[in-house]
Amino acid sequence: MISAEGEIARDVAVRRSRLLADVARASSIIAPLWPLTSFVAVNPLNGLQHLTFDDAAAFVRRWLGARTHLSLAAFRSRYDRGLISDADLRRAIIETDPLLQTSPSIIVGRQSLTPVDVIRLDLLYGPEFPDSPRVASAIERRDPPAPATVLRSLDDLVTGWCALYADEAEVPWAMPGRERGFYRAWRQLAPYDPRVRKLVGTAGLSWLRQLPPRAEDALDSALSVLGVSEEQHVDELRAQLARLPGWAGYARWREEWAPPDHPARPFRLVEILAVKMALEAAVVCGRPSELTSHSSSEDLVDRTWLERRAESLLHLLSASEANPRLVASVWAVLERVPHHQRHAIWLLAQEGSFRERLLAVTRGDERTRPTARPSVQAVFCMDVRSEGLRRHLETVAPYETFGFAGFFAVPMLWQPLGAVRAEPRSPVILQPSMAVAEVAHSSPGDAEAYLTWQRLWQAARESFHAAKGSLGSPFVLAETAGWLAGPLAAIRTLRPASYARFHGLFSFTRPPVTSPALDLDSADGANPTFETLTLAAEALLSTIGLTQRFARLVMLCGHRSDTVNNPHAASLECGACGGAPGGASARVATATLNAPQVRAELESRGIHIPADTWFVAAEHETVTDRVVLLDRHTVPATHAGALLELERRLAEASTRLVQERGHRLPGGARGLRNRGEDWGQTRPELGLAGNAALVIGPRSITGGVNLACRAFLHSYDPHNDSDGRALETILTGPLVVAHWISAQYYFSSVDPEVFGAGDKMLHNPVGGVGVVLGERGDLRVGLPQQSVSIGDRSLHEPLRLLVLVEAPLERTEAVIARNPQLADLVRGRWITLVGRSHPGESWSIRSSAGTWSTCWPADDTVDYSAASLEVV
Amino acid sequence: MSWEGLTRMTKIEVVLDGEHAPAVRDLFLQSGATGYTAVDGVSGFGHRGYHQGRLLFNDRASLSLLITVVPEDRVEGIVEGILRIIEDVHGVLFVTEVHVSRPEYFLH
Repeated sequence: MISAEGEIARDVAVRRSRLLADVARASSIIAPLWPLTSFVAVNPLNGLQHLTFDDAAAFVRRWLGARTHLSLAAFRSRYDRGLISDADLRRAIIETDPLLQTSPSIIVGRQSLTPVDVIRLDLLYGPEFPDSPRVASAIERRDPPAPATVLRSLDDLVTGWCALYADEAEVPWAMPGRERGFYRAWRQLAPYDPRVRKLVGTAGLSWLRQLPPRAEDALDSALSVLGVSEEQHVDELRAQLARLPGWAGYARWREEWAPPDHPARPFRLVEILAVKMALEAAVVCGRPSELTSHSSSEDLVDRTWLERRAESLLHLLSASEANPRLVASVWAVLERVPHHQRHAIWLLAQEGSFRERLLAVTRGDERTRPTARPSVQAVFCMDVRSEGLRRHLETVAPYETFGFAGFFAVPMLWQPLGAVRAEPRSPVILQPSMAVAEVAHSSPGDAEAYLTWQRLWQAARESFHAAKGSLGSPFVLAETAGWLAGPLAAIRTLRPASYARFHGLFSFTRPPVTSPALDLDSADGANPTFETLTLAAEALLSTIGLTQRFARLVMLCGHRSDTVNNPHAASLECGACGGAPGGASARVATATLNAPQVRAELESRGIHIPADTWFVAAEHETVTDRVVLLDRHTVPATHAGALLELERRLAEASTRLVQERGHRLPGGARGLRNRGEDWGQTRPELGLAGNAALVIGPRSITGGVNLACRAFLHSYDPHNDSDGRALETILTGPLVVAHWISAQYYFSSVDPEVFGAGDKMLHNPVGGVGVVLGERGDLRVGLPQQSVSIGDRSLHEPLRLLVLVEAPLERTEAVIARNPQLADLVRGRWITLVGRSHPGESWSIRSSAGTWSTCWPADDTVDYSAASLEVV
Repeated sequence: MSWEGLTRMTKIEVVLDGEHAPAVRDLFLQSGATGYTAVDGVSGFGHRGYHQGRLLFNDRASLSLLITVVPEDRVEGIVEGILRIIEDVHGVLFVTEVHVSRPEYFLH
């Protein structure tokens, strides 16, 4: 027999649990937001990937009020510039609705128009409609409504408290009581905040004072006060999250993606919602009003738009609207393509055009596999920026190059020399499974002197910044350091390169010679273990098919991006290393591959690395395109000549790439290498702008072709993977990372307001976790405007990722079949998958239904084989 | 068989896509469970076909199995919550009666 108290307690527990589940369900509308220090690209519609792209797009248009495609005007501009042809449009229309091809034509005067032509004309000349507003939250639907200014002020208060609470940069005035959690700290503070009293009034303040100590219970009360029934919880919570995607996204990262021991404060989505909705409930407290239902006029709006499209088309055809049969026929055709689907058709047409241009330049001939031993083999990150360097390196030297995810199969926590904390160096979808520290080889005295200087320098910098942030000390600081800081700021602004050289003068001690500490002889207790490292080495070599014919020198090259005054610096680093530089991963992988014990074990697994083969690590700095060889002290004297030759060739390739990239950036190649040192530069490099495709297969598919740094290149040898494990690894790992990057660039381009971080000139870093525009507001998600455009000119062509796979189609199909999340991506058209079993075959495209059909040209009179892939 | 010395409790098991596992783990703990067992990279065959187990370069894409054991008064809350979570996403829930040693581990 359960007591009455027990019953009540159980009811409360059930309500809490249901509410937590509702919060989790509602959270799919926002994507996790990584802190700035480890900013990585993520698909903003990440929580909706179980839907098709079109359904997910419709969902976010409704709930976020977001644009999910370019405007019709933008598509038409691309059509006018010849990037999309009539043939591309026709093909996309038929792909969207095959029945249009067989429907009867419409006779207008003396001309006969097929339904496909009717839609094409509507795409080209039909009216564009304004974006629909997002779904309103309960307080926005009240009658009489709460003033919009009050709601904005409430949002500003909430985002301000979030910043105070989450601050990772340890500002001098942190939120009191934050060790108890966000909601509890806020609950204690809010009644004393005069801004709250002003907004919610006396009755509201009294209501806030009696809030329960648990966030779930407070949220439940607020929902009741706002008149939201339990059936409407998910919708209401979703509408609330849509208003705060930045901080809510950060909370999602903290709850779902941050490692359990991450130093950032715990931050729960339910707490943000409780605070926001409690304030809204306090506003309506004691003010009688009614809750109106969600707008249900969508059908009416669609009907109106349809009418206008038909009018416009009839006008274009100079046809009389008085002919009821004609009007009915036009309506019947237009009705088959709802007005939003027109954007989806344009996107398909644009993707078809790009696909054709790319496939036309890929090599289709059956080639013999090379047998001669190359002098150098170089493995680069799959990043699109490596494509340019690889292409130029292959031009200036007879080297073989490969592509692999830039963490080189070493998912690790990396602790640089002197660092207090180790940091992840792996894609965010993979938890680090090993810890590696950097150790000094110089004499202990040298290393200690260097570290002491580093600590002193760091302490001085921190003191300077702390003095700037305190209440009274800036006045003293201006008196004592202003004479130096002023001229330095002037030099830094006018002559960034000179400032960088001046700054370098403060490195009084040379960094010691270091290397990664790998204990390969320890029988047990080592981390990473011998077995883990050997497995990583095997995965790296077998996935890219480098299991024989090793060169004397094999370079593994990660990449980094050195920029200053750039809150989004991590977005330019290696995505496969979790938004960090990739050199350390290359160092650990090469140290592993050079270890005799590992080579002996690999030999037993069928991978014979000749004794005279040496692996060398390198790092490609993507602002200057310079490549630095790492751990040179480990390279045997026998390879010194080859190393110098490699360095010379890399410098040559780098110079050529800089010239090429100069065409894409304002200012040209001159000064391009100094952009990273310029603290006023908002666009230090192009990053991954333009990315559009992932090519999985041997380099022979794309060798000698200028892909304009638009393709991720992941090497794969289908002859070396009979069980499909290597292909599965690529399709479930690197493909996901490439898709996230592609989706991030796509959405930041099509709706910079909702999915982008806005203008860098207005960015203010907040609490070390994100940026706001101006002095207040929500954290901005996505990429800054400068990453995707220059003024009105797009740097990025928003397309969904095109994936080319050269592997037996049945193998690709088998991998899709056993990985439902990958199947969702393909079936839902988040990516377009194109494959061919053998080099000599035509490419086939995989449909959502799982069938493969040969890619056919939209217009076979056009030869794209010399077409440029540059973004224009 | 006699269950003397053991205490009757309820075991709740959830299998769902790894990306939704954090929500379930949070729900367990917030609803009074004192702990849970999580098995990532679960393979098997179900209504969506075969599910690959652990993947080399992705911890998130495979299924997770989450298990908790709770006394009777905490079952309803957890079950109600899980049922709501799996309304929108793929996943299954199993609830079974179990007998446990050291019941205090599951109570406080």
